[in-house]
Amino acid sequence: MLKAFRTLLVTVAIATPGLAIAHHSRAMFDQTKQITLVGTVKEFQWTNPHCWIQVVVPDPQNPQAAPVEWGIEMGAPVELMRKGWKPVSLNAGDKVSIVINPLRDGQHGGLVVAVTGPDGKIIGHPAPLEKPATAGGSSETSK
Amino acid sequence: MTANFTGGFVTCRAAAAIAVVLLGGCLFPARAQVSSKERIKAFAKLPDWSGIWELDAFVGQSDGQQFSEEGQRKLKEYAAELRPSFTPEYQAKYDEILKKIEAAVAADPDHPPATHQPLCEAPPFPATSSPGMFEWRITPEETTFISTVGAVRHIYTDGRSHPPKDELWPTLMGDSIGHWEGDTLVVDTIGTRKQLYSGQLSGFFYPMSDQLHFTERMRRVSRDVMEIDYTVEDPIALTKPIHAVIRHALVTDFNRMIEETDCDQNERDPIVNGRFTTVTH
Repeated sequence: MLKAFRTLLVTVAIATPGLAIAHHSRAMFDQTKQITLVGTVKEFQWTNPHCWIQVVVPDPQNPQAAPVEWGIEMGAPVELMRKGWKPVSLNAGDKVSIVINPLRDGQHGGLVVAVTGPDGKIIGHPAPLEKPATAGGSSETSK
Repeated sequence: MTANFTGGFVTCRAAAAIAVVLLGGCLFPARAQVSSKERIKAFAKLPDWSGIWELDAFVGQSDGQQFSEEGQRKLKEYAAELRPSFTPEYQAKYDEILKKIEAAVAADPDHPPATHQPLCEAPPFPATSSPGMFEWRITPEETTFISTVGAVRHIYTDGRSHPPKDELWPTLMGDSIGHWEGDTLVVDTIGTRKQLYSGQLSGFFYPMSDQLHFTERMRRVSRDVMEIDYTVEDPIALTKPIHAVIRHALVTDFNRMIEETDCDQNERDPIVNGRFTTVTH
């Protein structure tokens, strides 16, 4: 399995000769998994080279536990603006549901897949969802 | 006497200055008049490449910059077309790089190895159209490529040659000269870095020699599509030229060029010990 995974990473590495060079690799995100986070926006960082959503997520299984802050990476502002985002699309205190591909190393972070805003509508242009986002804490699906 | 001499000197200088002004006044307006008529005609012959463009594989990317299925298919297609056929010497160099990447991935799959700095510098040619959006500025003397990730290519079409070898050194964009064949811009590029960038993970690149040479034939084939026909030659590194046709798509959902690589603003994917990391707070 590990060998297959390594092969996959190297295949991704050599997939686009001469053309595609990204700001950084996305291999740190597990794009075979999707996690849904339900929480409150602490900060929406509309910045280069990437926008970020800092979201505070309580544990529904343990309401007494301290909520956990997650850092969610997005595209660059100009790219997000094309997809319908604005610098004011999210504000501190907004209740949101965010689907992410989590970081492989277990840190509380991930790559954005889809964001549902406080009005219950999806913002921007989400990546395909494995299953609809569900309310309440965090849930996980795998491909 | 001194005053007279000085006055005479001043007079001489003034006369010389007036002569220069008159001469310039005679020459430059005349040149401008002729040039302006000729340039208007020259401009009228140039194709319309206006608008904002992007590599067609990037169309439909989502908020996290995940490629669409169609985009992934196109990238694979381009990858197949662009795959080099190395000479034994360069195959060995390529194998060595690949081995190092495999070892680095195996040692720590969670943090991809970084073989380039995060894209806070412009992506080098021929990766100039990836990522980001870009515009073309066409004048009779030069066609300029300007991208949102800071890549700027100057393609001189004023009839000049490449500089002599002793005035060339490897640069991000190399030296490009071109000419028009109808609506097709034919571009010849040398003097790039000795490498072809290859991809998504850590900017992995193919080694090339200082004889790396590109020929591009660029044409807007329809309102929404630009076609770039690439030929990459390197008699030291390649057993045969690489040939590929890459397409750029007109951006129809946005009309502003906004810079996106001022990484100092909020870089949260720093390279630590040769690997990309993520700062979550």
